[in-house]
Formats: sequence, C-alpha cells, structure tokens
Amino acid sequence: MTRYLVNRFGQALLVLWAAFTVSFVLLQVLPGDAILIKFQNPDLGLSPAQIEEMRQIYGASTPFWQQYLHTLLAMLQGDFGYSVQAGVPVSSLIAENFPATLRLALPGFALALLIALLLAFASSLTGLRGLRNALQSLPSLFIALPTFWLGIALIQIFSFQLRWVPVINPGVWVGLILPIITLAIPISAPLAQILIRSIDSVQTQPFVAVARAKGASQRRVLLHHVARNALLPTLTIAALLLGELIAGALITETVFGLSGLGQLTQQAVNNQDVAVLQAIVMISASGFVLVNLLVDAVTPLLDPRLTHSQGVLS
Amino acid sequence: MPFPFRLRALSHSVAIGASLTLFAGQAAAADRPVQGGTLIYLEQQAHTNLYPPAGGFYPNGGILNQITDKLTWQNPQTLQVEPWIAESWTSNAEKTEYTFKLRPNVTFSDGTPLDANAVAKNFDTYGLGNKQNRLPVSEVINNYARSEVVDPLTVKFYFSKPSPGFLQGTATIGSGLVSLSTLARNFDALGDARHIIGSGPFVVSDEKLGREVDLVARKDYQWGPKNSPQQGRANLDAIKIIVTPEDSVRIGALLAGQSDLIRQVQAYDEKQASDQQFPIYAPPTRGVNDSLSFRPDNPLVADLHVRQALLHATNSQQIVTTLFSANYPQATSVLAKSAAGYVDLSAQLKYDPEQAKKLLDEAGWQPGSDGIRQKAGVKLALTVYESLPQPQNKEVLQLVAQQWKQVGVALEVRAGDAGSRTLDNLDPSKTPLTVSEVGRADPDVVKSMFYPDNRDALLQKGGSSSKVKSFRDEKLNAILTAISAETDAQKRLTLVGDAQRYLIANAYNIPIFEEPQVFASAPWLKGLRFEAVGRPAFYGVWLEKH
Repeated sequence: MTRYLVNRFGQALLVLWAAFTVSFVLLQVLPGDAILIKFQNPDLGLSPAQIEEMRQIYGASTPFWQQYLHTLLAMLQGDFGYSVQAGVPVSSLIAENFPATLRLALPGFALALLIALLLAFASSLTGLRGLRNALQSLPSLFIALPTFWLGIALIQIFSFQLRWVPVINPGVWVGLILPIITLAIPISAPLAQILIRSIDSVQTQPFVAVARAKGASQRRVLLHHVARNALLPTLTIAALLLGELIAGALITETVFGLSGLGQLTQQAVNNQDVAVLQAIVMISASGFVLVNLLVDAVTPLLDPRLTHSQGVLS
Repeated sequence: MPFPFRLRALSHSVAIGASLTLFAGQAAAADRPVQGGTLIYLEQQAHTNLYPPAGGFYPNGGILNQITDKLTWQNPQTLQVEPWIAESWTSNAEKTEYTFKLRPNVTFSDGTPLDANAVAKNFDTYGLGNKQNRLPVSEVINNYARSEVVDPLTVKFYFSKPSPGFLQGTATIGSGLVSLSTLARNFDALGDARHIIGSGPFVVSDEKLGREVDLVARKDYQWGPKNSPQQGRANLDAIKIIVTPEDSVRIGALLAGQSDLIRQVQAYDEKQASDQQFPIYAPPTRGVNDSLSFRPDNPLVADLHVRQALLHATNSQQIVTTLFSANYPQATSVLAKSAAGYVDLSAQLKYDPEQAKKLLDEAGWQPGSDGIRQKAGVKLALTVYESLPQPQNKEVLQLVAQQWKQVGVALEVRAGDAGSRTLDNLDPSKTPLTVSEVGRADPDVVKSMFYPDNRDALLQKGGSSSKVKSFRDEKLNAILTAISAETDAQKRLTLVGDAQRYLIANAYNIPIFEEPQVFASAPWLKGLRFEAVGRPAFYGVWLEKH
C-alpha cells in the first residue's frame, strides 16, 4: 500500500515537470510576445527600435535554455516572476484571484455532485417509467446547455426580471449564488450519467439479488450495497472533470464579471503574459495531480479488494 | 488667445446625442443638484496603462478624465480653448513659444503643489518621453523642445518648429496633469490606477485589477474649469467603475436599477433603454472615422485600382442601416463632420459594385472557379483583425466581407483577442488592412492616424514596423507635417482638406461611419457632460432621489 502511494507520488512529480516543460516550450514558440503586445499601443506610437530597447530591458533576449533553467529554479522557490501586462508579481495576481476561483469552483463542484446523486437515486427509485425516463434524459439536456447561455439566462430571470439577487456589486456570497448554479449544472450531467449507468450495472450483480432475497427494500439496497460500488467510477470521472471545471469557471467569471483565475487566464492569453500563463498551467496541473492522488488514496477504502492487488485502476 | 476658428459642423452634428446633453444641462440648471451618493458605472473593458498620453483608449479616458485636470479646457459646445489650471496664456506669432500663467493654490491629491515646476515636468515628459522610466512621447505634442519655469506660477514652453496644435493639445485627455511622484514611476507601475496622482475632482481609492476601480470625491476641490457650470467639489461622494464585459448584462443591470450609467450601448439595445425613458447619450469623437486603412506595402493592395475597387465595393450605408442607429452617421470623408477641417467627399465614396468589378478586371484580376478573383495563380484573399474597442466591429467586418465577395474578393476576419494580432498587424504581408479610428478635436488628428512616427495606419517604411519593404508616401507625409506646423489657422484647415482628398484619391482609407461613444443612463442621473471628444465628465453629475 505504501509502495503504491510512493509510486503514485513519484509519477505525480514527473507529470508536473513534464507539464512545466511542455508549456514553457509552447509559450516560447508562440508568435509575438507580451512586451510587443504591451508597447505596440497606437496611443504610444513607439518606433521598432524603442520597442527593441524595452525588450532588452526586460531580458527577453537571453538564450532559451537560460530562461528555462532560470524559470524552473525560480518556480521551485515559489517565485513565479513578473506579469509584464499588469506590472505586478505573478504571485500577487494569483493570491488575489485564486481564493475567488476556489469560492466558485468548490461549491460549484459540490452542488454538481449533489444534483448528480439526486438525479441518479431519484431515477433508480421511481417506479413510474415516464418520470424515470424524463429524469434519465435530464443529463443530456444539461450537457447541451452552453455555460455562457445558461449564465445569461439565469441573470435575466433571477436578477433582472424577478430581482431576487443583484449581479452588480453584490455581497460576496450573494453574488456567488447564480455563478455556482451556472457552473454546477453542466458538470452535474456527466456525473449523473455515469452514476445512473453504474447503478444499473451494479443492480444486476449477484450480491444485490442476495440482499433482495433477504428482504431488503429497494432504498436500502441502493444506499447500502449499490451506492458504494457505483461511486467508484463516478469518483474517477470526477477527477477527470477538473478540466471542465476550470473551463466552466472561466466562462462563468466572464459572464458574471467575477475576479478569479478564469478571467486572469483570459487576459493573460490575450496579452501573451507568459509568466502568468505558466503559473496557471502549473496550478491547474497541480490541482489535477492532487485530485487524482486523492482518488487513488480513497478508492482502496471504498473497495477493499484494491489493497491486495495493486493498481487495478491505474 | 482663443481658438482661432469655429466649426460650422457643430450645428449639424449628431443632433440626438448633442441635444440630449444640452437638455440634461438645462434641466440640471433648473433643479437643485443633490449632493452625495455613489455612481455605479458599468464599463465594457478593463483599463490598460493609465499613463495619461495612453488615455485615448476609451476605458482609460473614462478614468483619467475624473482624476486629472488639464492646463486648459476645451468647451465641448464651442470647441474654444478656455482657462482651467492655466488662468491665461500667450504665444508668439510663429507658435514656437507658449507662456501659461497658472491658478494659485492648486494641489495634487497627495498634497504636493500643482505649480509651474510640476507643469514643466509634465510636459517635458509628454513632449520628450522619459527613457529611464520607459515613458513614451505623447502623440498630441509635436516639435517640443524644452520648458522654462519663469516663476512659481508661470511656465514657458519652447518648440523647435511651429506647433500650432499645442494649445488644444493641453486640453486633451492625453495631457492630464499628474504629480511628480507619478512621473517618477516606471511605465509598468502606471497600470495600477492607485498610482495615478492627479489634481482632479475625484481620487482613486481602490482598485481590483481588471474588475473594478473605486473613486471618491476630493472635498477640497476648488479649481474646476473657469466656465464649467459646476464649481467647487463634485456632487457625488463616490464612483464605482465596474467592468462588465457582457453587453446584455450591462443594459439589463441598468434597466433593472442595479446601475446608474453604462458605456458602450450596442445600437440594437438602444430602443430598450429609450422605450423605458432611460436617456441615451451619443457624444461624437470628432476625428478619423471608423474606417479601414490599407497597407500598400502588401503586393495584393499595392495597385491603386484594387484599392479603389474595394472602396467602391464597400456599402457603408448598408452597414449603418443594418447594424447601427441614428447615432452612427454614415461617413462622408476620412474625418467626421464635426472634426476640424472636414471636407465632404461623399461623391468620391459612392457604392458602385459595377465600377469595382471593372477596376478589378482592368487590374488583371479574373474571377476563379470559386468566385474569388485570381491573378498569376494568386487569389485576391485579404485578412483583417477585428478591433475590440470599436462598436460591433466584428459584425461590420463580416458585412464588408460579404459585400466584397459580390465583386470576387475574399476577406477573412480574425478575432481581435488573439495574441498574434499585434504582431500580424505590424506585418503588411499578413494584414493588408487594418481597422482605424481616433478622436481628437484638432486638425492634428489626421496626422496622428497616418504619420509614420505616430499611429502609422498605412505602415510606412521607417515607421512603427520593421517588416515594411518599401512603401512610403512622402507627399502624404509632407501634407501631414505641414498641418502640425502651419501657424495660419485658415491655411491649416485647407491642409487638412488636402490630406483627406489625398487619402481618398489614393484609396488609402475606406471611411465607414462616424464613431460616437454611446452611453445610457438611469432617468435619475443628471448633469452628465462630455469633454470635446466624448469622454464622460462626472464632475457635475448628481443622482436625484429615487
């Protein structure tokens, strides 16, 4: 068990280093650079020579491998460099925006999980075929809703028509109600689908038949026997949905005008603010690796069989 | 030394916006302004660098115009240059020396005096740049040589060549006066609004980068423009400028009472506001129209016939009627009707697809199998990047692309938020066209747009790009430099006419419409005014009880 976790940890570090290297190379070969984008402003009217001067001052002309080593070593010490566009250290930009994104993403994900569970159990419990079919087709509908449209529709209905929650200048948590719903609904869909499918497949397992034969009610069978087994694949998918969550947060933050990593990413992409993008890539990769590590640590607890045969799920 | 000419254009300017603003002014005079309250102002985009000469970008101007004062005030109604921080001024006949007498007891918000020394340092920076701090030269100041502090309240400026546009230049958004501590900062540090220390009626109290800028009124403000209806401190206590990129959210929030004022009201949302008695303001920007400019260095558009064909293949009337409202007049020249020295060239700008096809045939471009014209195996396929600050620019360009397709020319419209946009826009071989527009109520505006050392819209050799192989138009440049140095006001306007005629005769520019800045406010917002080129001034604004 310990060896299994140590292995996973080693792999995680390797993934992070690969993410750093690949993103560094890609960001370097992009056409244009942040300095040009910042100073090639028609209001300023600088000559090419003046812009070249700026580039020298910013040290954009040192050799590639030197920049790579310098950035890698600095990052290991927690120094993420300087944002060319905003003129502030990247770490302070992240510090300003990361909590905001967590405030949106964590409740958003929790709500998505809750919606998925409710949908799955409701559709397995209900005896009415029509209702069951309707519930089962909801995830497809949720997946088809563009986040962007959903956000604007929620704003129009709940903020502008019913006037229940303000969008402009709201309190911190009040202002998060609609964005969290916007983020949760599309993500809940794949979770619900996986859950419904696993419940269906677990239901046919012999041990369920045994439990039923012993006189357990449908609800008891679901909660005690099926749920634990059906959660495994859902958990794995949940880890994979982190990417969806980041993309969803970006759109949601834009529509609602919230600060956060999403809008920071968008601005950094527009301005090719390499240091900021590099930091965001590393944060996303770390989050991804961390969630997968957690899932790997939790699965043996859900399924005791896994502790004896290593890496069944890897 | 008042501004030497009047603009007949004003009388038939964009009547709707102008008259509304006048109405608001008269109404405000009749009512007693209420003091206090916080204005919630929704902006479409976040500000960029707030070094005052970079104030041309709409969101920047919206902030700088509240927190900085200028040496002079250009009356938005008459366009006369009137006293503000400078009580009076004189200049020599050659316009190579200007002397300003300053108002006493003016201070920056950090308590330091706004005296001759501070003004001299401001214009030394704007006129010459500051290499060490990476502060670039301002586009509104030409031929600047040096300053001289005569006494604590008298400052004199010297120019290497005549600089008749300087007086008006001191009134522009790019000439806001800032404290010595602001000028001592690096260019980079001026992206933070809290670092801009001005003497204006409002002060930046807080900023959430890219999201929100908060302003509070200066209680001790006593030096508004001499002829401004508002005197003393501002009526409002505070302003919250909130970046709300989504158009439908801005207009919806305004109509739902969550905001008092919004900028960049799309033409299709105007009716929603006016139906509910929410006033629309559309002040003109009085400069180079929203237009397309060619890069003749690109072989595809090097031929005058091709450029003329595309000029006549562009149906600007269809663009205006399809996408816009009465607040967006169809362009009739390179400059707007309300610009200094405007000449009507609508006869040369006629939409004529048959003429366009004929010109392309003559130039040897033959329709290919896919309908796109070809010559020696090369397709006449052009690329342009949309410009984010311009209203509905993507839709405008897509409509132009449809119009050009009728005559067999392909136009690919690329997204304005692509990182490669800046780089490609400097390379004539990649972008044979660019979107151009700039506002300034002075004859120099045409030079700003087309002169290689300024905005260099046509990309000339030796200008802003090292990618240009050979294109340079000395004849055009001679007219442009003459405009910025001609001391006789009437001759200067004649030169502006020459510049417009020359640009259209060579089909360097395809004018589309006169760009306003469109705002919508709640009915309880009063006293909103705009400076000469449409940037809002919140100094006199007040919020009625509601």
